[in-house]
Amino acid sequence: MTTKDHTPVLKVENLQTSFFTYDGEVKAVDGVDFEVRENETLGIVGESGSGKSITSLSVMQLIQSPGEIIGGKIELNGDDLLQKSKAQFAKYRGNRLSMIFQEPMTSLNPVFTVGHQVAETVKIHKKMGKREAHQEVIRMLKLVGIPAPESRAKSYPHELSGGMRQRVMIAMALACEPELLIADEPTTALDVTIQAQILELIKRLQESTGMAVMIITHDLGVIAETADQVAVMYAGEVVEQADVKTLFNRPLHPYTQGLMNSIPRHDVDVDELEVIRGTVPSPAEMPSGCRFAQRCPYASEICNTHPSLAAPSNNIDGHTDAGAVRCWIYTDEWDAEGNPMKNEEVQQGS
Amino acid sequence: MHIFIIRRLLQLIPVIIGVTLVAFLIIQLIPGDAAQVMAGEAASEEQLEQVRENLGLNEPLYVQYGLFLADLAQFDLGESVRTGQPVMELVAPRFWITLELAFWGLVVAVSVGLFLGILAANKQNSFRDFGTMAAAVIGLSMPNFWLGLMLMYVFANQLGWLPTSGWGDWQQIFLPAITMGTAGAAIIARMTRSAMLEVIGEDYVRTARAKGVKERFVIYKHALRNALIPVVTVIGLQFGYFLSGAVLTESVFSINGLGRLVVDAIAQRDFPVVQGTVIVLALTFVFVNFVVDVLYRVLNKRIELN
Repeated sequence: MTTKDHTPVLKVENLQTSFFTYDGEVKAVDGVDFEVRENETLGIVGESGSGKSITSLSVMQLIQSPGEIIGGKIELNGDDLLQKSKAQFAKYRGNRLSMIFQEPMTSLNPVFTVGHQVAETVKIHKKMGKREAHQEVIRMLKLVGIPAPESRAKSYPHELSGGMRQRVMIAMALACEPELLIADEPTTALDVTIQAQILELIKRLQESTGMAVMIITHDLGVIAETADQVAVMYAGEVVEQADVKTLFNRPLHPYTQGLMNSIPRHDVDVDELEVIRGTVPSPAEMPSGCRFAQRCPYASEICNTHPSLAAPSNNIDGHTDAGAVRCWIYTDEWDAEGNPMKNEEVQQGS
Repeated sequence: MHIFIIRRLLQLIPVIIGVTLVAFLIIQLIPGDAAQVMAGEAASEEQLEQVRENLGLNEPLYVQYGLFLADLAQFDLGESVRTGQPVMELVAPRFWITLELAFWGLVVAVSVGLFLGILAANKQNSFRDFGTMAAAVIGLSMPNFWLGLMLMYVFANQLGWLPTSGWGDWQQIFLPAITMGTAGAAIIARMTRSAMLEVIGEDYVRTARAKGVKERFVIYKHALRNALIPVVTVIGLQFGYFLSGAVLTESVFSINGLGRLVVDAIAQRDFPVVQGTVIVLALTFVFVNFVVDVLYRVLNKRIELN
């Protein structure tokens, strides 16, 4: 699926987005790097407040005051997006990169028909006339599986179900065949059966267009079902990055392990689900060292120093290409310090 | 939509009955003998009897109300006890003048109010925002008659650009319209601002931006259309207030409208005229509200009338 020599569709480097509140600067996204390639799906997973949504909104430059992108680089097929003027970037949005949101109930404008709203996108970006745009709307609505598209196009959003509205959102997002689709919790507000349909739809459309997809979710089930690559975010940082198989077979970061252990599994019988103790540190008292240390069962002296995101050192048997992890356990320093916690024992957690 | 309008019209029936009942009871509620009050202290017994007979005050209340409604259905509002002229003839021409005045007042209120409201919301917490809202507070707090006199002093008396008073010429529209519309403009500006600010934070505004809609269209198309929904209600109410509040403006600018008619009628205890004016104003108010409801429905497709 993934070919390393391909230039990535989206390349994010050291992205920093902060909110400037009366209580001071809140670093919602603090130095995030990732790439998404053609025909590939990157899943970004994390709990509320981990910065995953802010990351996606930053890519779309939809951060509103008092938030601001304060550093980093976002490239779409080599175009440096942060260097574009507002007017220039408006030509990218909805055209070369587009986004669907968590709340299909409120994401469509209640006073315009859905047909009008889908048509707007192609009118803006493809300079289509009224009739041509209408044809395109019908085609798109059919493509996303909306029955009787001719009459549905005349409906107002409140006349459609949540699943149908999310399909409309997808039709709108894909009308201009974007190179990148960002889906921010696209199924969270939907029923389970509808969730599967929507994910299936996104996958099918990706296969036919080859677009890159970024899925933001807190649901590991969604990740397992859709993603090729996964980035786990915690407190504004990526703490682990790997391809989906590696991540699920062998989660490295204690936070990822905690996440995995806190969901019920059909193949293992447990009496009680584990929880990750504590809460995400508030931005005001963000520890200077590892941000997960307070909640980490393996925390040690060295964790007071901030770890960097790096490939795990060789001492994990045969998993040198297992992505990257932001944890001291997988460094040579950890062993050198003579920590009692052996990697093998850490692995048992999963 | 047709069903909506028909239903809404049916709902007007009890409202209209209530309005006429209240207007009818005005005469009954006059302390003491209504005939005495109208005819004056020095009236003889025969004269009083004459007045009672004319007004039908000798009949039982429900018969009086029935007769009153029957007359009303034929657009007969009775006669003035002072001049004997039919009330309808007194009210109709003045009603048009007041309606015209209220209309121009509304034009001022809506155009200035919407413009300033959007301007303020666009740059929240900026100097422009504070400036506009401060102006709105001043506009709202200024007594209408005082503003009228000041405008008259500056533009008619000192500068001599516009006539001081009267109605009929196009130059005579400006000062009364501004006098009337200022407070309304202030209310509409504040309402528009808060409605816009609320709507700008909505998910669908973000969606519009995500689609690549230009910021100008995000504001004036996607946001404004939704923000207008509550504003339309306020505009409708304003129009009603303008009709009833025309008294002051009409007095200041010597405009021979409904307001002045009713003030004079009250001073002369000409109760049939007062009653007629109240009914015409109240029915107009009811009608304006009906129009607002229909407009509201046109703007907001989600309204269902159950």
